Amino acid sequence: MTDVTLSPGKAVAAVKRPTGASIGPRWSNALFVAPYLVFYVVLLVYPLFKGIWMSMLQSDMFDNTSKYAGMANYHRLFNDKIFIGTVWNTVWFVVMTVPVFVAIGLLLALALNSSDRTAAVLRAIFFGTSVLSVTIVTIIWKMMYMPGNGAIASIFKLLGLEPVAFVTSSSLALVAIAICTIWWIIGLPMMLFLAALQQIPGELYEAAALDNASRWRSFWSITLPSIRRTMLVVVIYEIVAQFQLFGQAQLLTQGGPNNASRPIVLFIYEQGFRSWNLGYAAAASEILFLIMAVAALAQFFVSRKRVEE
Amino acid sequence: MRKLTTALLASLVVTAGASAALAADKTEISVARFFGACEADYGTVTDVTKANGECGIITALINKFNADSKTTVVKPEIVEWPGYDQLTARIRSGEPPVISVMHEAVISDYSSRGLLEPLDDDFAKAGVDVNDMTDAARQGVTKDGKIYAMPFDTHTWLWHINMNLFKQAGLVDSAGKPILPKSTDELMKQAQQFKEKTGKPYFISTLANETAFYTRTFDTLLYQQNVDFFADPNKVNFSSPEAKNALQLLADIFSKDLTTKNQDYAASVSSFAAGEGGVFICGTWLIDTYDQEAKKSGALANGYAVTAFPQIYPGSPRVWADGHSWVLLKQDLTDAQRASAIEFMKFLWDNNYEWSRTGHLPIRKSIINSDQFKNLPHRGDIASLAVNGTALPSAVKRQFSIQEIEGEEVGSAMRGDKPVDQALTDAESRINELLANAK
Amino acid sequence: MAASEHIVGRGIGNKLILFTVVLVAVIWMLPIAWTLLLSFKPNSELMISTASAFHPPYTLKNYADIFQTSGVFRWLWNSAVVSVGVTVGILVLSSLAGYGFARAEFKGRDIIFVLVLLGLAVPEQAVIIARHQMFSDLKMHNTYPAIILPGLSSAFGVFLMTQYFKAIPKDIDEAAMLDNASRFKIFWKVLLPLTIPAQATLGIFSFLGAWNDYLWPLISATKPEMFTITVGMASTQTNFAQSEGLGFLMAQAIFAGLPVFVVYLFFQKYIVRAVAGAAIS
Repeated sequence: MTDVTLSPGKAVAAVKRPTGASIGPRWSNALFVAPYLVFYVVLLVYPLFKGIWMSMLQSDMFDNTSKYAGMANYHRLFNDKIFIGTVWNTVWFVVMTVPVFVAIGLLLALALNSSDRTAAVLRAIFFGTSVLSVTIVTIIWKMMYMPGNGAIASIFKLLGLEPVAFVTSSSLALVAIAICTIWWIIGLPMMLFLAALQQIPGELYEAAALDNASRWRSFWSITLPSIRRTMLVVVIYEIVAQFQLFGQAQLLTQGGPNNASRPIVLFIYEQGFRSWNLGYAAAASEILFLIMAVAALAQFFVSRKRVEE
Repeated sequence: MRKLTTALLASLVVTAGASAALAADKTEISVARFFGACEADYGTVTDVTKANGECGIITALINKFNADSKTTVVKPEIVEWPGYDQLTARIRSGEPPVISVMHEAVISDYSSRGLLEPLDDDFAKAGVDVNDMTDAARQGVTKDGKIYAMPFDTHTWLWHINMNLFKQAGLVDSAGKPILPKSTDELMKQAQQFKEKTGKPYFISTLANETAFYTRTFDTLLYQQNVDFFADPNKVNFSSPEAKNALQLLADIFSKDLTTKNQDYAASVSSFAAGEGGVFICGTWLIDTYDQEAKKSGALANGYAVTAFPQIYPGSPRVWADGHSWVLLKQDLTDAQRASAIEFMKFLWDNNYEWSRTGHLPIRKSIINSDQFKNLPHRGDIASLAVNGTALPSAVKRQFSIQEIEGEEVGSAMRGDKPVDQALTDAESRINELLANAK
Repeated sequence: MAASEHIVGRGIGNKLILFTVVLVAVIWMLPIAWTLLLSFKPNSELMISTASAFHPPYTLKNYADIFQTSGVFRWLWNSAVVSVGVTVGILVLSSLAGYGFARAEFKGRDIIFVLVLLGLAVPEQAVIIARHQMFSDLKMHNTYPAIILPGLSSAFGVFLMTQYFKAIPKDIDEAAMLDNASRFKIFWKVLLPLTIPAQATLGIFSFLGAWNDYLWPLISATKPEMFTITVGMASTQTNFAQSEGLGFLMAQAIFAGLPVFVVYLFFQKYIVRAVAGAAIS
């Protein structure tokens, strides 16, 4: 974008070749971005502002007499123990899953970074679950977690242990959702790390081998620094993705027990479509937006810093 | 791959064409319902007497209607239970189903906003004698003086009993009837005795993944103590010693290991059939299912009994109740569609006995008093429910949301995640907050 | 590849690592194996106990039943239409916009680009209530466009394609300009073919994203004949289905997961490459 400065030249060029393309700015060039912008404005920008407006209304799904309520919905949110609970649940879920995605993703990538057939099959297994729909994943995991009859309970009994009540324990429900989520989409971080590992020049390792460096040392001094950027990509991607937790919680635990596994998105959905409180639901979604915007801003600054380095 | 795609496309075109052809000479109406999908077993069954269980009977009923009717085709649309979130989204989208199944408890939310059609005139014209409706059913579908739904059943909360285990626990009297508690003390004593003799928990309960058990049981325990917690329909009141008693009882049952603890609906249904506990607190709809199970060799073999929720407080024998019903959703219906919808409702009315075979109570006096109904297994044991079943006052709004919130808080206290007092306060404030913001 | 074989492929640790990973993979497959096993059992036996899954009789009836009655076919078809629609839409819009932002100047372009980038920070869930109201007011729900269109507003594709176009050396299009080709012709004939790898990456992500989307179809496609497979499978896992038709439910889950899984196995190589592409870009 630094070549925008030669304005006199391109004007001439435009006159010279009216039918052909020119380098300088022309209004007709906007036609390339216009189709997307229509969708962007109509389906993202407009609903975003409409949502902000709705969040300041006291409005009901089927009642057209909504009235302006100022910050009342927000005020109510901050005093709503359930909502505050969902914020903590969501944050806790992100804190719980993201490091695991990074760690297991990287370990699998390291172990499977090979061109032989076994590695390929194993990669296919670990990535394969990612193509399943969330609703299929929850059916599968309901069968795993089902107390008494579920696979996990059966295994525990076989080992002579008391089965752990995953989805009904307020301390384990979110963990259960986390396990199922990791099982579901560990493939992506694994693949991203694999791609990064394959970018590392082999000479680096050869040099290390000559130095008789241990596996551990070459991991710390060569591998890890080389994949720092990917690590960042994975961390940010997973933070954003896991903040949007919905389907697993809705179908596995319905947010229970004792509000222990209700994420923000489920709260928004329930307020909107169960309690018909559109203004309140919209206000909660603006809070989610705010949290995500902060994450995005952090991403921007971190990647800025990286470029400057 | 291409062949497969072609075949798939072709079959789609054929099915689309076929249903279009059908629709040409008959009026098609969509009927949204839960009760599960079982076309696999009952897809072609039109003889309703051959069907069993909720899913089987409703499927066969619709099949029979479609086979018999000369004017109407019902297109069943099976939705997730209880399905109100999606129904709401669908009504808002402007394309509701013509008919939907609806719990009587939630009718007023929809009727008060003009989303349902009143049906008094249609019923009169079609020859549905509303005076034949049971009191519970009639009250359940009447809102602000108008009838908004065709009632289908009254269902209540009751005890399914494994007599084989009860015998083993010494809880069967000389007449072969189960010995049931008459007070909370007796309940705890008998439950302990049961556990010592059989090594199994007295209760099987659905404590995971849904809140129905908590709300329905808690409501019942409040009714038994004559607590009118919705004296003011805009404000719930759980701050009474009675409410505390009831919740503490549930918490004690849980903490003393007198119930199965982590089962969801499916797990609890199957664990009762497998004989993993003595009493399954659940609804009327499983009576037929377990009665069939008792005929097989298994844990329930010749040992299934059912009883109304025993009165363990001195107040009254009232018990939580609700009803399934069919509503006509407001939309631009042609006269033919409306006529077809009423035709289908009348058909369900005429065949209400078949539905009552599930275990639900029928909604017609003429059926409930008939020998045919009384001769069904176990019906004598639960006859009292027709009188004692109690629903929330219909002036209470957002009953579906309220049930969810109440159940969540009761559950938290029962499982010991929250102190009893705290849960009652929280339930009260959450529900009142909801109602204060509900129109 | 050679590089890492240096690490993994030496010493006795090698076998140990392989053994561990295989063990983990077996655990990974357990849930699916369990589902598969249950899907071959008669419903009535499972109602008593799922432990019966470990011994015969087994049956194919649950699968046969799918062909007779289930809505799964219709839902798979809907998902295919929606996913293809979203993918094609995103590819077209993002390629055009990516080229525009990278190459075709107009006044205010850079500001608009920044505004579009800000869109990356807006999660779908933050606008979903307002969107649902919009589509309701237009009476558009329960149509393919209603399920497809919101997906096209995502800024991710535009961002990806802009980056990709920027990375293409400028001499290539400048040469074409000298030949007096029009902007669109340069875009279509010269640059677009160079972006095939990025298209593949974006296409695969878009397709999988649309195929697995749940929240929006859940509230927009509310008529069973418009359900996507994701929503359809949610509607089948009711309490009652689990207690009385468990085997059938499992068969449906397996069957519904199969098509996209088979596609994945076929295109695995490309998908891996596509993901790698995303990582590097």
